[in-house]
Amino acid sequence: MELRAALEEQKDRLGHCVHCGFCLPVCPTYIQLGDEADSPRGRLHLMRAVVEGRLEPESDAYQLHLDRCLGCRACETVCPSGVEYGFLLERARALAVEARRPPLPVRLLPALMARGGARSVALAMGRVMRGTGIPETMAGRLPTTGVWGRLGLAMGMLASSRPSRLDAGPAAPAKATTEPRSDPPSRGRVAMLTGCVQSGLFAHVNRATRTVLEVNGWEVVEVPGQGCCGALHAHSGRLDQARDLARVNVSAFSAAGVDHVISNAAGCGALLRESGELLEDEAAEAMAKGVRDISELLAGEDREPVRGAPLPLKVAYDPPCHLHHAQRVTTSPIRLLESIPELELVPIPGAEECCGGAGIYGITHQELGGRVGRRKTDAILTTGCDVVATGNPGCQMQIGAGLLAAGESIRVVHPVELLAESYRRAGWG
Amino acid sequence: MSTTLPLVPSLPLILRGKLADVVGDDHLITDPDRLLVYESDGLTQYRFSPSAVILPGSVAELQEAIRILHLEGRAFVARGAGTGLSGGALATEGAVVIGTARLNRILEVDPANRVARVEPGVVNTDLTRATRPHGLIYAPDPSSQSACTLGGNVAENSGGPHCLKYGVTSRYVQALTVILPDGSRVRLEGAGRGWRGPDWVGLFVGSEGCFGVVTEIEVGLIPEPEGVRTLLGIFDSLEGAGRAVTAIISSGLLPAALEIVDQETIRAVEASVFAAGYPTDAGAALVVELDGVEEGLDAELELAASCVREEGASEVRIAQSDAERTALWAGRKRAFGAMGRIAPDLLVQDATVPRSQLPTVLRRIGEIGDRYGLTIANVFHAGDGNLHPNLLFDRSDAEELARVEAASREIMEVCIEVGGTITGEHGVGIDKRGYMARVLSPEVLQAMSEVRSALDPSRLCNPGKVLPDELPARSELPNEPLPAPDSGPIEVESDRHASELLAAASREGVSVAIGRGRSSGAPPGPHLRLSARGLRGVIDHSPPDLTVTVGAGTPIGELQEALRASRQWFPLDPPGGDDTTLGQVLAEGLGGPLCTGYGRLRDHLLGATLVTGEGRILELGGRVVKNVAGFDLLRLTVGSRGALGLITRLTLRLFPLPAVDRTLVWALDDPAEAARIGMRLAATGSPIAALEWIAGPGSGPCVGESASDDAVPAGALVAARLHGNRPSVEAMVRTLEAAAGIASPRGLEGEESVEWWERRARREGTGAVSVAISSLASSSESVAEATRGWVDLGGRASLHLVGGGVRLDLDPEGESAADRARAILDEVVRAGGVTPAPAPELSGVLGVFDPAGILPGRWRESWS
Repeated sequence: MELRAALEEQKDRLGHCVHCGFCLPVCPTYIQLGDEADSPRGRLHLMRAVVEGRLEPESDAYQLHLDRCLGCRACETVCPSGVEYGFLLERARALAVEARRPPLPVRLLPALMARGGARSVALAMGRVMRGTGIPETMAGRLPTTGVWGRLGLAMGMLASSRPSRLDAGPAAPAKATTEPRSDPPSRGRVAMLTGCVQSGLFAHVNRATRTVLEVNGWEVVEVPGQGCCGALHAHSGRLDQARDLARVNVSAFSAAGVDHVISNAAGCGALLRESGELLEDEAAEAMAKGVRDISELLAGEDREPVRGAPLPLKVAYDPPCHLHHAQRVTTSPIRLLESIPELELVPIPGAEECCGGAGIYGITHQELGGRVGRRKTDAILTTGCDVVATGNPGCQMQIGAGLLAAGESIRVVHPVELLAESYRRAGWG
Repeated sequence: MSTTLPLVPSLPLILRGKLADVVGDDHLITDPDRLLVYESDGLTQYRFSPSAVILPGSVAELQEAIRILHLEGRAFVARGAGTGLSGGALATEGAVVIGTARLNRILEVDPANRVARVEPGVVNTDLTRATRPHGLIYAPDPSSQSACTLGGNVAENSGGPHCLKYGVTSRYVQALTVILPDGSRVRLEGAGRGWRGPDWVGLFVGSEGCFGVVTEIEVGLIPEPEGVRTLLGIFDSLEGAGRAVTAIISSGLLPAALEIVDQETIRAVEASVFAAGYPTDAGAALVVELDGVEEGLDAELELAASCVREEGASEVRIAQSDAERTALWAGRKRAFGAMGRIAPDLLVQDATVPRSQLPTVLRRIGEIGDRYGLTIANVFHAGDGNLHPNLLFDRSDAEELARVEAASREIMEVCIEVGGTITGEHGVGIDKRGYMARVLSPEVLQAMSEVRSALDPSRLCNPGKVLPDELPARSELPNEPLPAPDSGPIEVESDRHASELLAAASREGVSVAIGRGRSSGAPPGPHLRLSARGLRGVIDHSPPDLTVTVGAGTPIGELQEALRASRQWFPLDPPGGDDTTLGQVLAEGLGGPLCTGYGRLRDHLLGATLVTGEGRILELGGRVVKNVAGFDLLRLTVGSRGALGLITRLTLRLFPLPAVDRTLVWALDDPAEAARIGMRLAATGSPIAALEWIAGPGSGPCVGESASDDAVPAGALVAARLHGNRPSVEAMVRTLEAAAGIASPRGLEGEESVEWWERRARREGTGAVSVAISSLASSSESVAEATRGWVDLGGRASLHLVGGGVRLDLDPEGESAADRARAILDEVVRAGGVTPAPAPELSGVLGVFDPAGILPGRWRESWS
């Protein structure tokens, strides 16, 4: 009932929704299902009904429709009343999971991520599995429905986390074609959130991030005390766990004495940025102010990254929802990619729509998640790109798995991997 | 106001099963908890939970579901995105909601004919997104356009900021497929698709879902304006902004939009994510948007800016980029949502007043707010006189809620008092039913109710909406003796006179012919013939409002003459030219070349007085430019050819006289080549006022000189009429000459241009055989080919190159010529590619106006 009280406190925020309906056409589940209960306005209406005592949190309606939300927050971008949907969703889900215990697989993942040891073991197993090449072979060959479909998706996701050989692109690597780089002026000290999935399965992205930071004159400080950011927990309504995890990071990063905390994973970055609201304390607020996405730091409004060697690839950029809608970082990743010589950026129709990744949505909501994912894959295939770039591990794996399932060889990378490759070709890293 | 219906009759199991069989279990929702989200639409004051929601995935499913609901006697209501602001999509009486979200396919975009066919669930902006690559847009742009559906737009006859220049939804809907309340399917087409008869499409648009559910909509598209200029004037007071609007209209400009937001609204918008950078201490901001030919816009902008400055603007800003323009509009368009920032609840009012009354009304709304201690934020389409006062409150404060309701009522009364109406674009829905009897006479309310009953006898389709439950009593019909039939045409002297005659004829069962005879034909047997010729002259002209009320017997020329002094006119050039009366144009649904640039008379018809076959006097519409108070019986009169009764007067929305009137004429030897060139000119997307292909005697190549009007050109002419300021007309001339790709044509300007078109209009419709045939603009070339023989016979032919449509006149000499003419007509019909629509089975509606069956609609078999 503590959580009900928390939701009660949010009554003012709910009151902001004037029912205009602008969020409907941007909501991935409404687009697929056409049921207003699966739209942000509908879900807010259900939340309000609970607050008003007209609906029980354990009711099927409340459970089903809140659970079905991808949490992409596209609705926040178009909301003229500024309803903080993501914030409310987390609290509404907390109420939902308190009222009804979610099924095991849904409980398993956050539990795993919260425990450092178990997490390391699981991720190491994943890397071994990935190394065998079995996941890539299995993805796209398994039936698409039922248990096999879930397994196929999981395999596809795992396979999509492996490093991509970008130098196998259409043009031969033009090694060190540019002038030798003069040392850039030192810009400041930054700490990097190394993350859990990111460090376990996407160590290459973390390496690339470090490279591009250093080339651009940032000193990267090691922060050993950091851990999982807790985003997965917050999104699934486990606010207490999320707070515990967030506290660890706040104290670790606050002690590091850096100018900025850098994230290269949109979901984690969004959580760090919202730590102040989550923990309701000043230290968290102060740390949150310094958080930047890697693209912002390198290619924000007033800056451009150091230009490397040409990378003649046709790249489609897909903005992660937690970067585009939650952090409102929309132009920096594009500016970052545009700074790479000879890289051709192609737009994806409906790019700002969710890819359906949303944690393990494709596994918990196989059919619906598949439909959302296919819409994204289809849109990507219209672009004729060589590579997809997106700045979030979940999206990389979801889109990668979708492309694998469609029998496509297009790889999905983080934008900084492309920048790092451009630097590598220039002979800097 | 806060109404909850706690006990919803749940759906019987058998019916549930039947519906599930049709739409599938996944698309039938019956769990009362899940239904909660459908209890409100964009207007949250009311809550009515439906007994079920179905989400059909095809038209066949939708039709079958309605058939079942009809058989089971279960009420239903269609719902698009639920963005409506009058509660129109709410499920009263435990109705079943039919959601159209899954019927969201754009079926066809036909750039050559500038039309698109869509399903009802297509979101407004998605249509323009699909047509923009072809250089075309769908003009109506309600503020909710990023979410609202076209099905909802049709139901509500939606407006939007740009309808000042481009008109509301009704102007753009060309054809509809509707599932009637009994589950039967009808196809309704407008005049552009070959239909000649009452304007059924016009009646269905704005019927708020009470006449059936639309499953396919065919809409007209317009070329995207080449250039846009957006200006923002900051004022210390709301009145100053209101005066600037009047000044701009009086200057002869017709902006694409004129929008005002007041101080409270500015504050809300600036606090939202769509902050447009307005100063929050300003009393009001006026947005002026001008669009059209790029070259003409700077001069227009200059003129608008000077009007704004002269009325005391403290600051004038001009959007320098698309991004600035978009931000500026986003702030205005999303103002409604942004209100959530400054108060927990709001009531959005919607009313239209004659534009000249704006300053008065705004002042009085301010006084009402003060008196009730309420914050009222005003956002409005000032060019249309369409007000949206937003009353801010907190629902949990019952006392405040009561004050809001009282203030809201007073605002409505003020609007009605100055000659306005109770809703300009949001509809009546459930919210405004109580005001209906304040603006509509008992006669009109009764007629609306009967029309509804004719289409939905069991009142299952969106019950509890639009009309009040209790209708006020009508006055007695006159009881005068019937004059002797067949004693020649009777010139009606007044509404009362017409009412006496028609009531008597109905009583005695004597047929009545309306008009002077030529087009309406004559009934068999003894009959009365009534004419409105005597009802002649301007009754009221309000230059600042750009409106005029005239007697139906007024010839067009006489109207233009009366308007000239105020530099206004009504663009109309039907067959017969200036001698044609307005009543005739209305009743016969006539149009001319100017429809290309200005639309038809129906698009600018604000009001009319109809004396029905029964003798009832119906004052339809009003004199405001946007009016959705009740069903659009006004539009039904268009093309009705006397089937409903006698029209005695009309109110029209006027236009400023163009600064430059220029006509370009190309003469070509080959008629088909002329048509090809004409199509190239159309494809430029230039805002041409008229574009015609003309062949036959009297079309004369020696235009504008001492032309022998009887000279027979070998080939055909292409004539383009251009209106605008000097730079824009000159730019259009350059564009068209380049597109034509042949020698520079002769140009006519000013009076010469006017006279040239008048001469050709007068010749139309004068042949012994005179036919109008619908055709697709894209088949202009084959139509031109098909008319060669007609011209050889000595006939005249003309063709609208943008909208399509052929007019043919001939005085055949001898039987063989007549036979040949008939064969050619068949050929033209085939070449035109339009199959005239079959008459829909809606005769019950006509019976409302003519219960005794004395008027042409009943005794004449076909409409063509």
